[in-house]
Amino acid sequence: MRNRFWVPLLGSAAAVTIATLAVWALSSIAPTLSLGVIYVFAVLPTAVYWGVRWALAVAVASMLAFNFFFLPPVHTFALNDSANWFALTVYSATAFVVGELAARARRRAADAEQREREASLLAEIAVHLLGGHGLDGELGWIEDSAAEVLGVPNARIEFGPRRSSTGETIPLEVEEHAVGTIYLPLRADPNVEVRRRFLPGLAALLAVGVDRSRLEQEALEAETLRRSDLVKTALLRAVSHDLRSPLTGITTAIGALRNQTLVFNDNDRRDLLDTIAVDAERLTRLVGDLLDLSRLEAGGAEPALEVWALDELVHETIDHLAGGDRVDLGGESPLVNVDAVQIQRVLANLIENALKFSPPSSRVHVHITATRQEAIVRVVDQGPGIAEAELERVFEPFYRGDRPSGAGLGLAIARGFAAANGGRVWAESRPGQGTTFALALPIVEVPAGLPA
Amino acid sequence: LSQRILVVDDEPQILRALSTTLRGAGFTVDTAATAEDALAAAAAHPPAAVILDLVLPDGNGTEVTRELRTWTEAPVIVLSAVGEEREKIAALDAGADDYVMKPFSVDELLARLRAVLRRSAPEAGPLIEVGELQIDIPQRFVTRDGERVKLTPHEFDLLRVLAQNRGKLLTHQMLLREVWGPSYQGEAHYLHVYVSHLRAKIEPNPSRPRYVLTEPGAGYRLVDPNAS
Repeated sequence: MRNRFWVPLLGSAAAVTIATLAVWALSSIAPTLSLGVIYVFAVLPTAVYWGVRWALAVAVASMLAFNFFFLPPVHTFALNDSANWFALTVYSATAFVVGELAARARRRAADAEQREREASLLAEIAVHLLGGHGLDGELGWIEDSAAEVLGVPNARIEFGPRRSSTGETIPLEVEEHAVGTIYLPLRADPNVEVRRRFLPGLAALLAVGVDRSRLEQEALEAETLRRSDLVKTALLRAVSHDLRSPLTGITTAIGALRNQTLVFNDNDRRDLLDTIAVDAERLTRLVGDLLDLSRLEAGGAEPALEVWALDELVHETIDHLAGGDRVDLGGESPLVNVDAVQIQRVLANLIENALKFSPPSSRVHVHITATRQEAIVRVVDQGPGIAEAELERVFEPFYRGDRPSGAGLGLAIARGFAAANGGRVWAESRPGQGTTFALALPIVEVPAGLPA
Repeated sequence: LSQRILVVDDEPQILRALSTTLRGAGFTVDTAATAEDALAAAAAHPPAAVILDLVLPDGNGTEVTRELRTWTEAPVIVLSAVGEEREKIAALDAGADDYVMKPFSVDELLARLRAVLRRSAPEAGPLIEVGELQIDIPQRFVTRDGERVKLTPHEFDLLRVLAQNRGKLLTHQMLLREVWGPSYQGEAHYLHVYVSHLRAKIEPNPSRPRYVLTEPGAGYRLVDPNAS
């Protein structure tokens, strides 16, 4: 604010002073009266830099100075010659007209520059939006550029409902429909004409951007929903298939045994009873697995932590396993702080999985190692191996690979219980060279004072 | 000599229970766990009927049915489950004769099996009797309890196709193709309208049909209301 007054004032004064000095310097070689034209050079730059008002002031000051210093009687504002009156009037008029013209040219130039800034900002935003980008993360530079175009220190654009603000709030509208609001600082006083010209364009572009962002968001949500629907359908089919198969076995066998018209020998009868027993066992396990899985996914598998020797847990697991006689155990005996039941579940699932996918007569090796932070159990089989791309997928619930057998829940449950106990489960394999499933658990320091 | 049944299912427990049951009912039983084995077994010992699971590890029941139909008219009963409706219809369209839903009752399966075996040759005679209905095909003349039933040409054709495949489940697609021609195969609503017209004329109580039965989502079958 202060600069707007003092700089033109000092500048104008300097211009008049310099012109006066120039007239004084030249007065020895040219007729004094003709030198009044030099003051036009003071008026011209003033008009260009500070506008027509200052130019007028400089013109008046120049003529007064010319009269005072050079026109007889010198050092008075009086004139004693009608020729001098005439000259002074012509000079004043010339200075005034030149100043006005220069100022107008300057306004036009400034106006053109302003329009160019507005247009290029709108073009930049349009190019950005047409390029397929949304407004996310882009508002910052748009706000800064808009503030610059509006000639205010800063601006904020928001798309929610208009809120009250200490500054000025201008709605951004497209066909009377509010897109958002631009907030300007108090008394920023942007050029009204610029506002009228620039803001509707900005509003229209932002509306496009908002629409695009919303459509993108909606498309994304629809896609997510569709995917989760697909997953749910797949899960439902898997569960219903896995539940129905043993049920079908059971109902068939019971229906056969109860049907008086069918003829069975003792062997048939034992077969049918076996079917019922085996399928009932399968159902029980499956229901248990599903419960465990849903508990794990709901975060409800709180482990009851106790310190155990890891090899003991492994030993006990193998002893209770069908096919446990095909499993070798070796390695160290680190201490771990875990829920024994849950970790034995993890071990059982990993070892059963290894047995299932190995050739019937081959052996499964279990090896325990300890680093400073972790105890690692490796279960190594001699099966067909797992392709790199499948190594993570085998831990997804209901994933069965290309050999459907079992519900595909064992490894998912193993990973869930391992995580609940602060551990990790992963698979390493090369097709044709068997698979290693590894369980890592945080190690426990042997308490001081106890024998190791 | 007992009739030979081929049972195809990839679940060993179901296969075992089913084959024991069928042997107990006096059939000779072959089993297969894959589509490939099923086709090989059927070729080696042509079965009198096939009981076929819809979902097989190396293919599906529809493909097996289509393959079988290239050389045998042996009836096929499909084992289907909730969530497999589309495959079930596809298998029926491919030529399967009937279906049962898992878990099924043994009595129901045996009843269906005996029914398809009874009618494995379609009725070819000019005069078909179903309950009180008499259908004279060459004369296009229908009576119920000896009284004339007037049918439009399409209603008659619908009844004729159902009667010639008496007891067999006919899918919407099959009926549309047989009665209206191949270009009407998507127009299931035509069929529903004509079935209700037909019922109004031949059923004693059209709101509780006893002759033309609806298999929801699958098709229609004509049965003898007097046969249990």
